Order: sequence, then structure tokens, then C-alpha cells
Amino acid sequence: MAYVQQSTVRNRLLKAMRAEDFARLQPHLESVELLVQQMLILPNARTEHLYFVESGLGSITTESANNRVEVGIIGREGVIGASHVLLGSDRAPYDHFVQMPGTALRIRADIVIAAVEESPTLRKLLLRYVLTEIIQTRQTAFVNATLEIEARLARWLLMCHDRVDGDELLLKHEFLSMMLGVRRSGVTLAMQQLEGAGRIRARRGRITVLNRDLLEEIADGGYGTPEAEYARLIEGA
Amino acid sequence: MPRYFFHLRYGASLEKLAVDPEGDELADHEAARLHALQSIRDLMAGPPSFAVRDWLACSFEVEDEAAERVLTVPFSDVVSEDDNADEPG
Repeated sequence: MAYVQQSTVRNRLLKAMRAEDFARLQPHLESVELLVQQMLILPNARTEHLYFVESGLGSITTESANNRVEVGIIGREGVIGASHVLLGSDRAPYDHFVQMPGTALRIRADIVIAAVEESPTLRKLLLRYVLTEIIQTRQTAFVNATLEIEARLARWLLMCHDRVDGDELLLKHEFLSMMLGVRRSGVTLAMQQLEGAGRIRARRGRITVLNRDLLEEIADGGYGTPEAEYARLIEGA
Repeated sequence: MPRYFFHLRYGASLEKLAVDPEGDELADHEAARLHALQSIRDLMAGPPSFAVRDWLACSFEVEDEAAERVLTVPFSDVVSEDDNADEPG
């Protein structure tokens, strides 16, 4: 079987990797499909594989007695499972599953661990990536402590838009309700405000992003910092 | 089970209605009312909205699949319920 080539990968981390480091991982990268709702990493179970996302969207969620709330999203900028594995744990207390279908390059966790032990440059890149996940999580804490539903929704739509091709997002309000930790009626209300201002168009579970600048404006500082940090840390922007 | 749609009325003018496109399957009108009350408590305990200055002025207009109004649940209902719960006896 032919190996995946660095020139054709879509994952931003694999793209940003030094050629020698990519070559270390290359023979072990296996292209897999990501199916909607597929569980990639179970909570509190040994993590066998990491997933460099090529397309689609993964979600890290935490569950309580009567609801489930998203605490992180990972698309083609990242690796699902990287944060706990690279920081020395073989498990994490969260669900990691597929929110939007796509593809990933899967690799065994022990191979990545061995590779970062051999290559300081690979270790640095991947730990910087872990830092970007931490920054995203801290941003979420800030957003959830201070911002209105509309700002949270705008931020989430921008993050989602960053990770898909095109301007259309297939998202039910019920799903957004879980993502934002807000009742579905709150999502519907916020969607109407964004739509009224010409930022998006929403029809039957299909949301079209019309104006990113206006969305960023309403996100009110909720969007942008983690994205800029990613570009700086990973892509040297 | 019948499906109920929970439209959120947040102002007197016609367009101040957030129309629920998805709905929820619930056993009957009473289950729909309890569902609305739980949604109201969660909304009032949750983040604010740019569009709503006072949650207590809002209400749920609940419709069935035929788009017939079956219930109106004012947000203020949760307050009066709590008050009743505080009363002795």
C-alpha cells in the first residue's frame, strides 16, 4: 500500500511538520473514515490510537446525569487523543467522538510516544499543539462565564466554519444545544438574532455562513485568540 | 407519541417569536407543559440573550403537529410555582 504523502495531507499539523518528522510517522499512518457519532476514544479506557483529522469534526464531551456538554472540538487542525497521550496518560475521562463525518489518519499511540522520544522537534510541535488545545479550553471557560447565547453561537459557528469546506453547516438546534450547553429554545432564539442581522441563513438544519466579519463582531472577543495562537505556535504566523 | 413545538415568544410584535423547527416527542399536553417549565428554568438559569431583556416577560407558545396552539406557558409560571412551594401546608 502506498504511503500517504505530506504534500497531499490536509491536516494542518502534519502539513506543518518537518519532513524528517513526517517520515517517522508516515509508514504508520492509516487512512480511516470517520462516521457520524462514531466513538473514537472511550472515557477512562486505554487509548490505542490517535487520529490526525483530515476532514470532519470530532468532539470532546462530558456527561452528567441528565445532559451532555461539549468541552472541546477538534478538526483538521488537530489530533484527537493527543493531549492526554502526549502528557503521559493512557486515558482521559471524556468521550471523544465524531460530530461531522470525514476522514482521519490514524496512528498507534505507542508509535507516537516513541517518535516524540526520538525527535525533539516532533515533541516540540506536538506539545505546542497540546498548548493550543489548552488555550481553546480556557477560551471556552471565559466565553461560558461571560458571553450571551448569541456570542457563544457565533463563536461556535466560526470554529465549525474554520474546520469544514464551504459555507454550509449541517447542524440541528438540538445538537447545538448540547454543544453550547444551552436549551434548544435558546439556540433557536440566538439563531434568529444572527439571521436577522444577515450573518447567517438558517433553513431546515442547514446553516449558511454569510458574513464572517459580522459573526466575529457578535462573538465579542470569544473568537480569535486561540485561532491566532494556533497560527503563531504551529504555523509560525 | 405526539410531537410538540415550543415557540418562544419574546416580545409583542409579530417577529419576536423564535419558531421551534424541531419539536419534541412527549406523551401528552401535561408532559409538554412540564417540558416547557423545565426549559424555562434552564433558560433563566443560563446565559442571557441579546434579544431578551426580561425572561419573565417571555412565554412558550406550544403547538402540535397540526400547528394548532395547545398551550401557552408564561415564564412567570415558574416563579408562582416556586412561591406556592414555599407556602406552609
